[in-house]
Amino acid sequence: MTAATMGTPILSVRDLATSFFSQRGEVQAVRGVSFDVHPGEILGIVGESGSGKSITCMSVLRLLKATGRIKSGSALFDGQDLLALDEADLRDIRGNKIGMIFQDPMTSLNPTLTVGEQVIETILRHRQATRSEARARAIELFELVRIPSAAARLKSYPHEFSGGMRQRVMIAIALACDPKLLIADEPTTALDVTIQRQILGLLRDLQARLGMAVILITHDLGVIAEVTDRIVVMYGGLVMETGPVRDLFARPMHPYTRGLLASVPDLRDDSHKRLTPIPGSPPDMAHPPAGCPFTARCPHAMRQCAAALPPLFGDSHAARCWLHHAEAPRIAGINEVAA
Amino acid sequence: MMTQPLVSVRDLKKHFTMGGPLFAPKPVLRAVDGVDLDIRRGETLGLVGESGCGKSTLARTLIRLYEPTTGSMVFDGQDVAHLSERDLVPFRRRVQMIFQDPYASLNGRMTVRDLIAEPLEIARIGTPESRTAKVHELLARVGLHADHANRFAHEFSGGQRQRIGIARAIALEPDLVICDEPISALDVSVQAQVVNMLEDLQDQLGLTYLFITHDLSMVRHISDRIGVMYLGKIVELASNTDLYARPSHPYTQALLASIPVPDPTATRPADPVRGEIPSAMAVPSGCRFRTRCPMATELCASSEPALRDIGGGHLAACHYAGEAAP
Ligand SMILES: Nc1ncnc2c1ncn2[C@@H]1O[C@H](COP(=O)(O)OP(=O)(O)OP(=O)(O)O)[C@@H](O)[C@H]1O
Ligand SMILES: Nc1ncnc2c1ncn2[C@@H]1O[C@H](COP(=O)(O)OP(=O)(O)O)[C@@H](O)[C@H]1O
Ligand code: SF4
Ligand code: SF4
Ligand SMILES: [Mg+2]
Ligand SMILES: [Mg+2]
Repeated sequence: MTAATMGTPILSVRDLATSFFSQRGEVQAVRGVSFDVHPGEILGIVGESGSGKSITCMSVLRLLKATGRIKSGSALFDGQDLLALDEADLRDIRGNKIGMIFQDPMTSLNPTLTVGEQVIETILRHRQATRSEARARAIELFELVRIPSAAARLKSYPHEFSGGMRQRVMIAIALACDPKLLIADEPTTALDVTIQRQILGLLRDLQARLGMAVILITHDLGVIAEVTDRIVVMYGGLVMETGPVRDLFARPMHPYTRGLLASVPDLRDDSHKRLTPIPGSPPDMAHPPAGCPFTARCPHAMRQCAAALPPLFGDSHAARCWLHHAEAPRIAGINEVAA
Repeated sequence: MMTQPLVSVRDLKKHFTMGGPLFAPKPVLRAVDGVDLDIRRGETLGLVGESGCGKSTLARTLIRLYEPTTGSMVFDGQDVAHLSERDLVPFRRRVQMIFQDPYASLNGRMTVRDLIAEPLEIARIGTPESRTAKVHELLARVGLHADHANRFAHEFSGGQRQRIGIARAIALEPDLVICDEPISALDVSVQAQVVNMLEDLQDQLGLTYLFITHDLSMVRHISDRIGVMYLGKIVELASNTDLYARPSHPYTQALLASIPVPDPTATRPADPVRGEIPSAMAVPSGCRFRTRCPMATELCASSEPALRDIGGGHLAACHYAGEAAP
């Protein structure tokens, strides 16, 4: 499926900017982010810690802490701007038309209620249903996310579940009202690879069966490659590169994406060959650089890079890098495609 | 003659007694439950396994932060399993640890100089001046500047803090450094910096590493041999080439098949292993992997497989390892 054939996006974020204000001054967490999510696709958002992935999604859902403020932008969901809706209408969308899963299921579940009560409560909040209908639906959901002995496990408390089981409960709650969009922030980061594999398989399977759209946030390039259709690469509060997953891995257009892909060891290689890290560390978002935020670490930085923020060059596969300007020098593999 | 391993551990156990009802036997959590392990001088031994399988408990027992419940732990010819604190002093200098969380493991109120000099002060090595000189040398070794010495740890990024932790760990010129998830709290783009540095230090100082991680790509890159742990026991141990070419324990096979590969065109097997990890308070009888093992037989429920050599020093604890599937 290409962007052109995908039709109207279910979520369309434009020019989103969010900052935090404290004694330290302004931390510019998100600095003008735009992307679309289409029905039935899995969009991956990848980037290092602090790059603005979570705050982008928290802003769209308007779940920011008190010190955070959305400075500009819009987020059209199903024709409505989430950033302009009043709180009551928004509450009706969160947990209902948009489901959410976060990294640590223990902090998002209420430890004093059984998991069954928590699923039933979500259903009753958004749906006209009797308690017993809600309970039947909860059992169905537990079966959907493959929790064995579903009916019995409704009576368990969160601490009686393993990490993987708790994440299944979170997915069940997120799916309780048949969302059109599921936002999953690092849903498998706290889990082990064998359990991660089960949860990713489950997500992909559910997405295909229920036809919903998914935003999957992760810092793991393997997870991105495994389950997503399209990727947004974030760095310094900005979208650095975006494109279909296969295209982006085969022909990364941005020096940061290339550096990221080159810095992970190749599983098929046991030669002890030296790794090629990206030197330096990410920028401090209390004082973001004026030009390209990757300038200090980029092997190809030019005078123009520190002077001005590059725009996104390209269409369905695009990168925010001056090397794609017509006058930039040619660099093999980036703006010079091998014949 | 084969040189003796630096560390030789046999049937090592560390059990924790948990609270429970007043008039019931206290439940026991078998965090480390009979580990056999040799660490050779100068090698990097990787240790992988799911969270809660006992990797960190094993590490803490190996540096004698914990006294083992039973078993022997021979370090350079001496059994240190039950030595008193006083007799442990020389051992403590020779074995150091690098921790996962560079934020939590360094005291934010101490300067970098004091953090790195602290092990030297405790061991009463040198004068304040010679210790400061040593700190500058160590900072250079881990790629930091001498003028970083007077700053506080909280002023540094995660990757830099991990460098400070490493400088502290090598200050006493230890033989063995246990690295417990040293890179998992770091950004992907910074992990490779720290791994390259650890490899350089090993070459320069002749260090032996026990490298604990859940990153199966990184462990292959850095290790000479790799041990796979499941529910408190080593279930397979082999050279890194051998382990990835011929994984022989069904758990290792599942683990390797589960690794997400950063290549969207790669083909991936369906869920390679079913079920959840059992609790360390209720370890299954016989083979501890049998509740999730696709090839379990009746024998597996009644008899515990020993960790045995299935050829060329490749060890596996499965009744059927090295044979065609039963
Ligand atoms: N409550 C807060 N107060 C001040 N700054 C914040 C707050 N929450 C986030 N930030 C800052 O916003 C920026 C983006 O944070 P965000 O949590 O979105 O990053 P992320 O990409 O999700 O990182 P991670 O992978 O670590 O979760 C960072 O610079 C972060 O320090
Ligand atoms: N001090 C302790 N008291 C009780 N249980 C502990 C203690 N330390 C670790 N455990 C338990 O031992 C098991 C192994 O833990 P750990 O070695 O930390 O796992 P890993 O490092 O592989 O994630 C876990 O079930 C853990 O909860
Ligand atoms: S804009 Fe310049 S500094 Fe930024 S990534 Fe491109 S070449 Fe590098
Ligand atoms: S001993 Fe039996 S249960 Fe254990 S791993 Fe081997 S086949 Fe599976
Ligand atoms: Mg986050
Ligand atoms: Mg641990």
